[in-house]
Amino acid sequence: MRRYSYLEHICDIRLKVEADSMEELFKAALDGMNSIIAGGAAEGLPESFERRICVESMDYTCLLVDFLSEVLLLTHSHYNIFSRIEIESLSSSRLEAVLHGRRVEEFDEDIKAVTYHEAEVVKNSQGNYESVIVFDI
Amino acid sequence: MIKITDMKKKAPYMWEIDKSFRSDMNVPARIFATREMLDDVLKDRSIEQLVNVATLRGIQSAAIVMPDVHEGYGFPIGGVAATLWPSGVISPGGIGYDINCGVRLVKSQLELSDIKSRIKLLGAAIYTSIPSGVGKGGDILLSEAKLDEVLRHGAQKMVQKGYGFEADIDHTESRGCLENADPAMVSHQAKKRGEDQLGTMGAGNHFVEVGVVEEIYDEECANAYGLFENQITVLIHTGSRGLGHQVATDYIKIMMGKMRDYGIVVPDRELACAPFDSPEGQKYFAAMAAAANFAWANRQAIMHGVRLAWRDIFGGKLEDLELLYDVAHNIAKIETHIIDGKLQKVIVHRKGATRAFGPGNPEVPKDYRDVGQPVIIPGSMGTSSFVLAGANRSMELSFGSSCHGAGRQMSRSEAKRRVDATSIINELEHRGIHVQAGSLKGIAEEAPQAYKDVESVVNVVHEAGIAKKVAKLRPLMVIKG
Repeated sequence: MRRYSYLEHICDIRLKVEADSMEELFKAALDGMNSIIAGGAAEGLPESFERRICVESMDYTCLLVDFLSEVLLLTHSHYNIFSRIEIESLSSSRLEAVLHGRRVEEFDEDIKAVTYHEAEVVKNSQGNYESVIVFDI
Repeated sequence: MIKITDMKKKAPYMWEIDKSFRSDMNVPARIFATREMLDDVLKDRSIEQLVNVATLRGIQSAAIVMPDVHEGYGFPIGGVAATLWPSGVISPGGIGYDINCGVRLVKSQLELSDIKSRIKLLGAAIYTSIPSGVGKGGDILLSEAKLDEVLRHGAQKMVQKGYGFEADIDHTESRGCLENADPAMVSHQAKKRGEDQLGTMGAGNHFVEVGVVEEIYDEECANAYGLFENQITVLIHTGSRGLGHQVATDYIKIMMGKMRDYGIVVPDRELACAPFDSPEGQKYFAAMAAAANFAWANRQAIMHGVRLAWRDIFGGKLEDLELLYDVAHNIAKIETHIIDGKLQKVIVHRKGATRAFGPGNPEVPKDYRDVGQPVIIPGSMGTSSFVLAGANRSMELSFGSSCHGAGRQMSRSEAKRRVDATSIINELEHRGIHVQAGSLKGIAEEAPQAYKDVESVVNVVHEAGIAKKVAKLRPLMVIKG
């Protein structure tokens, strides 16, 4: 199970993600970010780009933000929407994965950065992992 | 939860939360606003964020917000914080992701009657001349070596390359170049994001706006600035694009990993910081300066595009459009201010705030020095913009800083729910304001009702004595990404 939704923010975008495993939480966050950037523009396009990534951070919260920042960087550098991820290993301080992307001509929304502002990976009362991510747009 | 009763009125239009409010505050939190504005300011968490800023190591006098304040991340937008040089902290979150996002005002010698029939042609020509929109690259493609030259020399490099004139440099804050910039401190990834973005506007709240001087409030300052009623102007608002965003991302991560080593604890991760004189502080300062230089080069390139479009429509020479001034909104500067009666070097963070140095300051261009630095305050799409002159009282109250715009009061999603973009375009057209834009969604998000009343914001800094009103500009044509 994984899901995402958007909460109100006065000038930026606040994404809430929830999943029943840490891997799914990372995928939910990727889905939520892609939905902002692509707005459906990449749907139906064939995957044409693959990139192995390795992200290291202090804890799961920072790892989640740093992972999204890494994807954002690749998105902007290569005009790709990375909508599929194969996670090879995930610990509280390290993620190794392969991203699969589709080239697009333009983006729907310009995310400047993924912030740590309200990010906090926690287990909620239903036993699921959740966090809020604020995107600077 | 912070309440109005936690604030004390220290002067007309100036409120403070005492540092005893929270045990970790090092200085008071200072808010420039009317009593009525405070009700709205307290609806979001911007004042809580300001209190967090007041905890930073080495912060001096007060953590300050301008009347266009709204919630950001870490620091509130509209924030000003000065930390003691050289051991106080520097915080990328106190500058923002869009390093040196800023605005420049260009003036012509034409009047409304000269251009009225060709305003739409001009808008179309500017729109064609300047790549805009989400993720759009431009025509200026730079090798890494050439990009490094831009990062080191800023707008000055663009003028050397033929994208403007020496007079433009004289009228740019810091002459369009921070000398401590070091391209080697900018990551390869940041450079990759910027390699095709020089001369591009981007999207969001960035724009080029053709306007007319509707009212002059101060003849002496207007004369010094070369402004007159009915004069046609062009306002350019953009920043360092992806390159600057990546510099901020890179260094927030670096600082977050090092704070524990320096014994720094912050109440919000986005306040990640390092002592200015630490290796991380110095590297970020050099990278931030490089990104700031990229932003000045970007606005210089965009102004060149506007000049070309202008010449295509009205003829004449490129020099016919003169730069009145270019100001940074998101930047850190080493400045000297009087603190507790003594001259003190500080690291002034401005995040959504404009430098507003008063008369006589050597940083103000010679031809404006008798009246003070131009402070350019863009309104929202469809509302007026303002030119003010920095006043010396800004040095006493706000580390030589003023507001930077209207400030949002409605979230983007709420704006999209409540505003129909086509109706906005029609309504603006009816009022004689044409819109040339790449996206209807962007129009809804940037609708005038999504912003505070810019005139009220400007009146606060005017009445507080931070900067005085010089001229009001009415938009005629808005070009958005």
